[in-house]
Amino acid sequence: MLLIIGNKNYSSWSLRPWLAMKVHGVPFDEKRIHLYAAASKAEILRYSPAGKVPVLHDGPTVVWDSLAILEYLAERQPRLWPRAPAERARARAIAAEMHAGFASLREHMSMNVRKRYPGKGRTPEVLADIARITAIWAEAKGPFLFGEFTAADAMYAPVVLRFRTYAVEGPNRSYMDAMLALPAMREWIEAAEREPESIPELDLYE
Amino acid sequence: MQLVIGNKNYSSWSMRPWVLLREAGIAFEEVQLKFDDTGRAKGVECFSPSGKVPILVIDGEPVWDSLAIAETVAERFPEKQLWPADARARCVARSICAEMHSGFQALRGAMPMNIRSRHPGKGLTPESRRDIERVVQIWAACRARYGAGGALLFGRFSIADAYYAPVVTRFQTYAVSLPPAAQAYCDAVLGLRAVREWMDAARRETEFVAGDEPYATHHR
Repeated sequence: MLLIIGNKNYSSWSLRPWLAMKVHGVPFDEKRIHLYAAASKAEILRYSPAGKVPVLHDGPTVVWDSLAILEYLAERQPRLWPRAPAERARARAIAAEMHAGFASLREHMSMNVRKRYPGKGRTPEVLADIARITAIWAEAKGPFLFGEFTAADAMYAPVVLRFRTYAVEGPNRSYMDAMLALPAMREWIEAAEREPESIPELDLYE
Repeated sequence: MQLVIGNKNYSSWSMRPWVLLREAGIAFEEVQLKFDDTGRAKGVECFSPSGKVPILVIDGEPVWDSLAIAETVAERFPEKQLWPADARARCVARSICAEMHSGFQALRGAMPMNIRSRHPGKGLTPESRRDIERVVQIWAACRARYGAGGALLFGRFSIADAYYAPVVTRFQTYAVSLPPAAQAYCDAVLGLRAVREWMDAARRETEFVAGDEPYATHHR
């Protein structure tokens, strides 16, 4: 399998399936495309009909969008979702809520692994998003949302990195610590910090 | 099983699971909440902590978000084959639903769903045109590759058709001119019994939600 991703410092959508595959031991090759460059669009379109990363190639099968990739992987690795039907339904609900929502948080606290912007981006709408995420994380069974790491945690992993960058205090600290302690998460963070490219449009608070 | 929805005229997210369940012949009780001026469904907090419709209440537990509802229903009713049975087709179906779920902001913003109204030519911006082109491309690819068994994206009815049904109603409201194959697909969706039933109910609604009416010339 080949997972095509964007810059590890910036691409929150790429982190989600990448982390799920690493944590669940799914072997894959990765190809990283530097986003926002002149050749980026054409390069992505070679792999992705939607023109976006992430996209997964499994032989002749092409799956795009982080959530569709997670569902594809879960068909082969059922442990990617909680086992109990009611918990699985709830995990899907909060994963989908992340997928289509939290627009203000995504805009004003965009993922930027290596930067520190304490206190920035806190508009009223962002604070409402943070309150909702705090409520979701407060129900974590521990160490992850449903005990073991699931696709729902993969969806919220970039939020943990955002809260680190923007120094958001309050949300479930032990959940954030568990996420940041994952070897795969550390691997992603280190790679992001080593990335030579930067994207000025996404360094929001320079 | 209860499905909590918003106004049928405006709530595209509500339309998706409603059409899915109804077209698949899965029985449910409909609970309709009406939007206030800010677009919040009144009373929604009684059903779900997310504060948004649609919500499926199944075994007493709320499942919120249209895509999570679709996956949950597909899993609970495997005999209905709500996703395509073929693995590659299923991948594409999931991908295009997820793309709809988190994308097409320009189309959604400039052409909000408004089933009973007609605003021909409104909402066409460079960004919404690009979204429309992408929708047409998705439909053409699915019809060409997987559509042989019927008039819908994967031949027979699937979650993907429920997912794109609100887009079909937008193209009607805003009189978007489409290539013949895309128009034929729209006609097939508009002919689905569940879609007709939803749209008939939407036309009978009289509530006016200002936030969803950027092109209204008078306030009723």
